[in-house]
Amino acid sequence: MSEAPQTGTNSHTYESAAARLEEIIARLDSGEAELRETLALCGEAKELIVFCRDELTEVSGALTELGLDELVQGLESREG
Amino acid sequence: MTDQLPLDGTGLPEPSLDPELPGPFPVGRYADGLKEFFRERPKVLVTGELTGFKRSRVQAFFELRDSEGALPCSIWNTDLDKLGLDPKLLADGAEVVIGGGLDYYPGSQNASPSFNFRATHMRLAGDGDLLARLAALREELKRDGLFEPQKQLARPMLPKTIGVVTARGSAACQDLLAGLERRGWRGTIVWADAPVQDRRAAPRIASALRGLAELEQVEVAVVCRGGGSLADLWAFCDENLCRTVALLRLPVISAVGHEVDRTLIDDVSAVACSTPTHAAEELVRVDVRAARVELGVRAGRAQRAGSAAIRARGKRLGELATGPARTVRAERVRLHQKLREVRAAATRGLATRNERAMRHALVISRKGSTGAKPTEALASLAASEAAIRGHDPQRVLERGYARVESLDGDAVTLARSALEAKDVRVRFEDGSVRGRIEEDVDDE
Repeated sequence: MSEAPQTGTNSHTYESAAARLEEIIARLDSGEAELRETLALCGEAKELIVFCRDELTEVSGALTELGLDELVQGLESREG
Repeated sequence: MTDQLPLDGTGLPEPSLDPELPGPFPVGRYADGLKEFFRERPKVLVTGELTGFKRSRVQAFFELRDSEGALPCSIWNTDLDKLGLDPKLLADGAEVVIGGGLDYYPGSQNASPSFNFRATHMRLAGDGDLLARLAALREELKRDGLFEPQKQLARPMLPKTIGVVTARGSAACQDLLAGLERRGWRGTIVWADAPVQDRRAAPRIASALRGLAELEQVEVAVVCRGGGSLADLWAFCDENLCRTVALLRLPVISAVGHEVDRTLIDDVSAVACSTPTHAAEELVRVDVRAARVELGVRAGRAQRAGSAAIRARGKRLGELATGPARTVRAERVRLHQKLREVRAAATRGLATRNERAMRHALVISRKGSTGAKPTEALASLAASEAAIRGHDPQRVLERGYARVESLDGDAVTLARSALEAKDVRVRFEDGSVRGRIEEDVDDE
């Protein structure tokens, strides 16, 4: 096994998840991974795909428009 | 300064109360001396933003301002009229160059004194003036290392919330929205409205950016405005604004003007964009629509690669599992072949020996007189042949026995083995038949 696979997607951003997914696919395509590593990589890839899909879904719905002044006023009143 | 004034206190009736300072001087004389002092200062050109221009009966008053300070100014109407300036151009925010020198009006018993810069010349600042100021400011900010901090900040490729500082409803603003829509991005926009021209713009833009930076959810901000002359875009060259942008922890993208316009905020921001469309691409570097398609492709690739890897290993395992059986099968075939060869050789050897014995018997019978009895010799030979033939398995079969073999050709010599094998081959003298062992039979 060339490197320990990361587990979980908590620390990922979209770009890091996409980059890691690309790495995993390259590793699987190479055919060099042992069976146990292959299974672990497939599991990790599945998690990353779900994470990326959720990230894309979050910015694919309806555009939300907020005003800075209203947001600041809201924060100030909450603090007050 | 006062010790350089031509005021030596000559003829004053009272000695100084403070021996360390000259005077006291009558204020009128001192003020008059001050006027002369100012008027002797060299004449210069000063440039800045015009504000509060107001024309009275004999002269016009205004202020020149920039981010660091202001200067009260005046110009005689006679001088102003000679310049032939369009009064509409002398509006707040106009960048002007004035020529003149310091002046001081000492006032009188009833009139208040005033200090100002008495202009004798005024013109609108041209691009050359602004470019010279821009170059000097650019050099200063660069020297202070303010071009780099924003460029070191991490910018998310797919932000969920972006801040936009602009004049709402402008064409640039619409272009930015259209650019975001083309990328399929529909997250959250926090609008920070601010004027984008004149001297009020820079502090409002700086304030808006500071406000956005305080909001944790805002991941990146853009300052957006359409094109214009350098004077129109001058707010984006404001030193305080640029210093603010440079030191913010929020990545700021500048999208001010068009391809050819280069303002100072472009230098200090994380990235400078030539158009609002370009800004949309930098704000959201992932094309959401394309990324969805790509993600599907990647998911397919990962699944195929994983399945192929597992399938290949399964096949190899299968090969490894069937390997020993295949080897045993081949070995059996080889052994059967050897057995057939041995049988054939035995049969051939018997025939040869038989023939040789017959020849011996013939010789013996012909010799007749040698003393040996031919019939006895023949009988002996026949006994030998019978003994030898008794060892031939075929002969055993000819006697009515049968040989039980497994389907692989192994001899089955025990009832237990026959039961285990189930399917057997029974070899008779004239051929073989297949049989199935049903049950054990109690011999007793």
